[in-house]
Amino acid sequence: MTDAKTPPRRTKRRRFDSFDRGEVLAALLFLAPALVALALFRIVPAASALVTSLKNSVVLVGVSSSFAGLDNYKTLLTSSEFWGSVKTTLLFVAIVVPAQTAAALALAVLLTQKIPLARAWRLFLFLPFSVPLGISPLIWGAALRPDGIVNSALVAAGIGTQPFFTSPTQALPSIMLVVSWIGVGYWMVFLIAGLQDIPNTYLEAAAIDGANWWHRFWHIVLPLMRRPLAFVLVANTVANFILFAPIQVLTGGGPRRSTNLIMFDAYQNAFVVGDRATASAQVVILLIIMLSIVILQFRLLSADGRA
Amino acid sequence: MARKGRGLGRFLLRYVLTVLAAVVALMFFLPFFWMVSSAFRPAEEIFAFLSPLSPYALIPKTLTLENFAQLFGGRLGRNVFNSVLITVLTVTIGLVICSAAAFALSVLRFPFRSAVFAVVVVSFLIPFDAIAIPLADTFRTLGLQNTYAGLVLPAIGDGLAIFVLRQFFMGIPQEMKEAARVDGAGWWTIFWRIYAPLSKPALIGAGLILFLGQWQAYLWPLLIITEPSMQVAPVALSQFVGQYEFNFGALFAGATVVSLIPAVILLSLQPYFVRSVSSQGLKE
Repeated sequence: MTDAKTPPRRTKRRRFDSFDRGEVLAALLFLAPALVALALFRIVPAASALVTSLKNSVVLVGVSSSFAGLDNYKTLLTSSEFWGSVKTTLLFVAIVVPAQTAAALALAVLLTQKIPLARAWRLFLFLPFSVPLGISPLIWGAALRPDGIVNSALVAAGIGTQPFFTSPTQALPSIMLVVSWIGVGYWMVFLIAGLQDIPNTYLEAAAIDGANWWHRFWHIVLPLMRRPLAFVLVANTVANFILFAPIQVLTGGGPRRSTNLIMFDAYQNAFVVGDRATASAQVVILLIIMLSIVILQFRLLSADGRA
Repeated sequence: MARKGRGLGRFLLRYVLTVLAAVVALMFFLPFFWMVSSAFRPAEEIFAFLSPLSPYALIPKTLTLENFAQLFGGRLGRNVFNSVLITVLTVTIGLVICSAAAFALSVLRFPFRSAVFAVVVVSFLIPFDAIAIPLADTFRTLGLQNTYAGLVLPAIGDGLAIFVLRQFFMGIPQEMKEAARVDGAGWWTIFWRIYAPLSKPALIGAGLILFLGQWQAYLWPLLIITEPSMQVAPVALSQFVGQYEFNFGALFAGATVVSLIPAVILLSLQPYFVRSVSSQGLKE
């Protein structure tokens, strides 16, 4: 705790004895609580999911589970039910993420124009996010009941009653509606912050040069929005891959497995069927699919332009 | 944004954009409004006025607080208390341990610093819900089922919060630390008296990350809490649906309470949150 001097030039590789012992000890104490928490509650369970997924899935009472290698993965990958939930999850993410991101960007652009009450409109769009994820599906469940308020509005509009969550074709789109109601305003807020960071002089200069609105958006705004867009795209993808609460509250995976996303199926396997090994294998596969897509998104967004 | 308006064309465009913004915003607001207005009306009125549809379907004909009275007279008052308590604990403990770690990772020099930082980054790439199932088994064997500790512990170490705070601390000039060292200040003093007070925006941002993580939690409390009086409000409300004492009035009242708390906090602190996550947080 005595040496306060820092070397004027930082060398990349420093030998251990060049560290101040007091400082290293302090660092250890500062880091310890958070690192222990991260290790115990994030990294160890992730590793244990991987280990459990390699164990025997049929556990008899009193018999400890034994190593089964990749058997659970083989069983899953040859099961048409599992492929069904993989397809449903991918379809869900492939529609919801681009749709939400595009809507959030369009609204961010709209609400940064000089229009009356823009701040109030932003607030209205953001409010749904403050409803906890376990609660908003309950509200929508009540609103979309066969005899609920939405159907009565549809009847009044001459469209007629819709089954929503009770129909195999409408249940997944209805879930998409619910999660977009929650998410669009939230992601919009990040894109508005990005738009406000763009120096006005850029746009003014382009306007003087005669660039029309679309050109300015496509050639100036969009390239400068790469960072906030990448954040929204990746965070939104992750959020939708692990989506759980709306499925559990509204449909329970049905009707006819039409909303059986992988995360919900894994939960069912673990706590209803009691098959931890298969559930863990499902979570591992989910993480692999999700991380590959996230890495791909990062690649695409950094490759397609300089800056 | 552009130069001067071109008379009528500009005016019309502005008019159309305003109408569009208002219509979309009101569509998003309507379900929220319906939730709040249903909370303040007698339960039997909620599904009345629907066929044929009348304006009273949205606007209460009679205002009442009976739903809130029923809600807080029952178990749900306790559940709301649980939610508030564990969120306050999570944010307080989480901010202390996350900012301490961020301080070490940005200010102190020690071996394997970048390796330790890599562990932090990896930990926030694994979504918590994905590992909740194996972790819940461990917590059950440790006897942490149905305890506040079981709800709070997994949420206090947050990789994203550490990341956001570290980025902010890196922007504070090293000279301040060096001057304080010369004056004989210890590391804790430097952290607590210099870095923490200078980092209010980042602390608010990280605090909101921790707050949202806990307040929005659904799967974890569902897995770890079986005792109804220990449950958090959102899960308790969803389990309340379908019970014999269930009525929609109390559901909407509960939903309004658990939504207005984050709404007020988010709306007042939202700029800090967005700045720290999107701008600071993603700069390399």
